[in-house]
Amino acid sequence: MEGFEVLRRLLTVLLLACAAVGVLPPAAQAHNVLIGSDPKDGATLSASPERVTLVFDQAVRQGYAQVGVTGADGSSWADGAAVVAAERVSVKVKPLRAGGSYVVGYRILSADGHPVTGKITFGLAADASGVAAGRPGADAPGAAAGETAQGSSAEAAEAAANGGAGMAVVWIVGALLVLAAGTAVALRRSAPAGGLGAAADVHVPGDERTRS
Amino acid sequence: MTVSAPPLPRQRVGGRLVAGAFGVCAVVAAVAASSFTGQEPVPGIPMPSPIVSAGLPIVRVLLDVAAVAVVGLSLLPKLLGFDDPERTEPVLIRVRQLAVTAAWAWAICALLTIVFQAAELNPGGVPTFGMIAAYVSDVGTGQGLLFSAACALAAAGIGLMAVRFGEKVPAELRVIVALFGLLPIPVTGHAVNSVWHDPLMVSMEIHVIGAAAWTGGLVATAVFVAPHRELLAVVLPKFSRMATVCLLMVGLSGLITGLGTMALTPGVTLPGAIVTSPYGVLLVVKTLLMASLVPLAAHIRFRLLPAVRQGRATALVGWAAAEVAVMGLAYGVAVAITRASIG
Repeated sequence: MEGFEVLRRLLTVLLLACAAVGVLPPAAQAHNVLIGSDPKDGATLSASPERVTLVFDQAVRQGYAQVGVTGADGSSWADGAAVVAAERVSVKVKPLRAGGSYVVGYRILSADGHPVTGKITFGLAADASGVAAGRPGADAPGAAAGETAQGSSAEAAEAAANGGAGMAVVWIVGALLVLAAGTAVALRRSAPAGGLGAAADVHVPGDERTRS
Repeated sequence: MTVSAPPLPRQRVGGRLVAGAFGVCAVVAAVAASSFTGQEPVPGIPMPSPIVSAGLPIVRVLLDVAAVAVVGLSLLPKLLGFDDPERTEPVLIRVRQLAVTAAWAWAICALLTIVFQAAELNPGGVPTFGMIAAYVSDVGTGQGLLFSAACALAAAGIGLMAVRFGEKVPAELRVIVALFGLLPIPVTGHAVNSVWHDPLMVSMEIHVIGAAAWTGGLVATAVFVAPHRELLAVVLPKFSRMATVCLLMVGLSGLITGLGTMALTPGVTLPGAIVTSPYGVLLVVKTLLMASLVPLAAHIRFRLLPAVRQGRATALVGWAAAEVAVMGLAYGVAVAITRASIG
């Protein structure tokens, strides 16, 4: 009988638990996956690109994205920090040398909170000339500024959606202190009873429940 | 008034063996599996320091071990029943104190995990308080871990009241608070972008709760109840029924969540990805571990349980140690799965 009782209660708890899923801190959406890029992985370009853009299957979190463009000799070619605009992460690139091969390394914070790292490679043809004209994103200053503005407003919206973490920390620190004091007092009080043997504790007057 | 004899030294060693087997196997498996799935350094991107990349899985698995301990120790009063306090009280006095300590360890591990994850996202140096606060306010994982730590602290508080006032503090309350602390844990894992997100999340909750109740119940029974034959004859049948349900729940929900997550991730083709992606390989390893639990559990259920019911001596502690060791390995692999790349 008692066993079934335990089971029934456990199932009740499980149901409660499932119901509680809805009220928890919202589980972030999902794990980001790189679905495309400009230039494409393994591409050989005929002109140096203005910027490198990585496209993910869904929006990338603001603030933690890093993109590096590295030449075969380890030199860095990225110009400035990565810009996040929804699912696109891009970085400006200095004029690249013809005939070189380059690795675009990235590390973004996935929507579900995991860092996602990876790389793509591309090269420039030996007879490549200057900066490519008319590539998407190359109509530079306006587009870049627009993306940045979009980025910062998205950041603000994200911050507004999440409550302040500061208060939570204060609460937890307060609770920690109270509990620490409680632990020290209670464990010290109960220690002699445990040390003298269990029988003594059964006779503790305040502990009627154990006798009933 | 008779009080059951204190456990013999040999049996104490048996108890330590069971608890130690779980902890050691969990940590070893977490480190091994995480180094297998570790992210390769990418040119041009600073990587987190070795302390962070090695410490994160250890802290994370210790969180799991502590949470399992709290759940198991909270379940034990329910399994022992309240009808025979002269026999159960000597056991429960130690159980209640340990539950408080384990809850503390849980809370501290959860907070440390937040610090390590913030450090992972801000490579090159010790994370400042501002970075940690930004991580918690930006990322759901941070909020989930904070919630888990808060529940662990609540469990410690209620556990303290139980230390002071004994079983007047309802055992169900302790169980529920501990299980609530487990709820945000799946948020630290993968998620999918689909209408199936919520069903998979519920499946994951069932997985986490079932695993904790099963493992924690077994460890607590083997460590604290096995040395007392009369108590074991009461507890083991009850635990066995609960374990059967947990086994089915954990196995089913694990398969559903694992395969579902892979199927719904863009760019992943089943069944090929099961053997090519780190996530799939770990999923296979965990399924094998789960399958090897079945004969161990069945031996305890069908061979040892009848003898235990009659109060005869059995090799329960040895078999429980083996089962718990496999469970520890599964917990360690689980830590790596939450971070493994799916594609």
